[in-house]
Amino acid sequence: MPQEGHAAVHGGKPGRWAPSAAGEASRIEAVRRYDILDTPPDGAFDRVAAMAARLFAVPVASVTIVDEDRIWFKAAHGLEGVSEISREPGLCGSAILSDETLVIPDTLTDPVACSNGLVTGPMGVRFYAAAPIITHDGHRLGTVNILDTRPRLITEDDTATLADLAAIVLDEMEMRLSALNALRVEQERRREQEEARERAERDTAAIQAFASTLQRTLLPPALPVVPGLELACHYATASPRDVGGDFYDVFPLGGGKWAFFLGDVCGKGPEAAAVTSLTRYTLRAAALIDPDPDIVLTSLNTALLLEPAVGTRFCTAVFGILEPHEEEGFAVTVATGGHPPVYHLRGHGVVEAVRPKGGMLIGALAEAHFASHTFRLAPGEGLLLYTDGLTEARTADGQMIGEEGLTGFLAARTAPVGATAVIEDTVALIDATPYGAGDDVALLALSVPFADASVDGVTANAHTIAPAGEMPESRP
Amino acid sequence: MTDFRLTTQHTDGDLVLAGIAGDLDIATAPHLRAQGLTLIGQGHRHLILDLAAVTFCDSSGFNALVGIFRCAKEPGGSLTLAAVPDRLERLLSLTGLDALLPAYPTAADALAAHARSQDTATAQ
Repeated sequence: MPQEGHAAVHGGKPGRWAPSAAGEASRIEAVRRYDILDTPPDGAFDRVAAMAARLFAVPVASVTIVDEDRIWFKAAHGLEGVSEISREPGLCGSAILSDETLVIPDTLTDPVACSNGLVTGPMGVRFYAAAPIITHDGHRLGTVNILDTRPRLITEDDTATLADLAAIVLDEMEMRLSALNALRVEQERRREQEEARERAERDTAAIQAFASTLQRTLLPPALPVVPGLELACHYATASPRDVGGDFYDVFPLGGGKWAFFLGDVCGKGPEAAAVTSLTRYTLRAAALIDPDPDIVLTSLNTALLLEPAVGTRFCTAVFGILEPHEEEGFAVTVATGGHPPVYHLRGHGVVEAVRPKGGMLIGALAEAHFASHTFRLAPGEGLLLYTDGLTEARTADGQMIGEEGLTGFLAARTAPVGATAVIEDTVALIDATPYGAGDDVALLALSVPFADASVDGVTANAHTIAPAGEMPESRP
Repeated sequence: MTDFRLTTQHTDGDLVLAGIAGDLDIATAPHLRAQGLTLIGQGHRHLILDLAAVTFCDSSGFNALVGIFRCAKEPGGSLTLAAVPDRLERLLSLTGLDALLPAYPTAADALAAHARSQDTATAQ
């Protein structure tokens, strides 16, 4: 049945001619959302155009999207080589102004279409019908349209079919859009994952750099060169990651005097490391104010008792000062706070344990008292300071080396007393045990070379971190 | 976890005698410390710890004992040890704490010594 009043359908709807600027803007936004403009040809849309041409027996059918200032062909059947035309009113430009299908039986009788380029130009379009592609939120993106070069009438069923084709086109566009969105979400997720991974890697690297810097500040410093003295040390933590509770240092007091200390904070881990740090700096600072070893240890005791972690962190330490002796060598004054004795190595296997009576654990009790002892360190003699990781290393029969074992070992050692050799031999003693030291070990040796050895001061540093791995083996 | 047990064997006013059995090491030391502090919190400021059944004691166990001693001392109490293992005895001597923590061969000796010291304190 021929559709009636075609001209009226077109001209009688003033709404077709008055798109508001805001309405057009949100329509364009919808067009952009589907991201379809200027995409390559797509079989699904081509088939719709071809189907329309076949169904209506017209030479030209197309699927168009109406952009701001152009009409772009997503699919065009019978229009080879045309991808877009200008957005003139009359045909597609008018079809998207209403939800209803626009039918122009004869363009020459239509007041607007008659001047459209497709009508007046070489194509000579006389018949035009278009169903708008309407989104679910009401935006008309473009059309599915049919054109003929002869005027014609179409039935209401035909009009409905054209609208169905437009609906199929929208479904196809929705599917494309959701696939596109899923892809975008996936890409975004991957990008975020990648970013998170990169961030985590950067953070880890920063934390590791920070931790190793901190760890270096907690390690015993390199030993200085002291005129007339040979120094050597050994430091090994039970775990490469742990900053141990063992500490030592040798530093100048001015006026040719030197101070040295070695000790052990009870406990392990970061808290023990913090106490170790506090202990080292307190000993250095206290010694500069008053180097009397008794007073230095008392100051440390007070400082540790003022710590918030008081009552759980104690330490044992040996603190000593060296002054050039009026004859040769040094006068040594040593105080102990609950620490194993210092060995005075006198040469030819003569060993004396320096054990000032009554030196108490440091940082546990306000009334702790300390005791010191002064003696001469003559040329050819040395001192060995150690932490109990040495004496608690177990020999093959399961027994700890112990103080007795260490004394015996030092007494059996008849080689000349040189700090470097003493440390080397003692480390060899630990290495000879089946499991090595189970705990941290710090060793510090001082020796006075004979005058004819013409030594101005020799320092050997051996910071061995066991098990081998992530930390420097030695430091300059 | 290594085996560790603290058993209260006798109380008399502010005195408590507790027996400790098992290993005193890094794993059990916090329990020893906590349980010792609980006894003090309950009003037993004089503690006698019988270590006869202690099978192992390293510096962690020693640290816990120092913590208990510090805590007992605040209200004017004391920590007395009985049957001290060799290694702990060496640690106490090395750190000078043997002067502050009286030690006796047996729990009975420690109880008797405590009774004498209380009599002396009362007499004065």
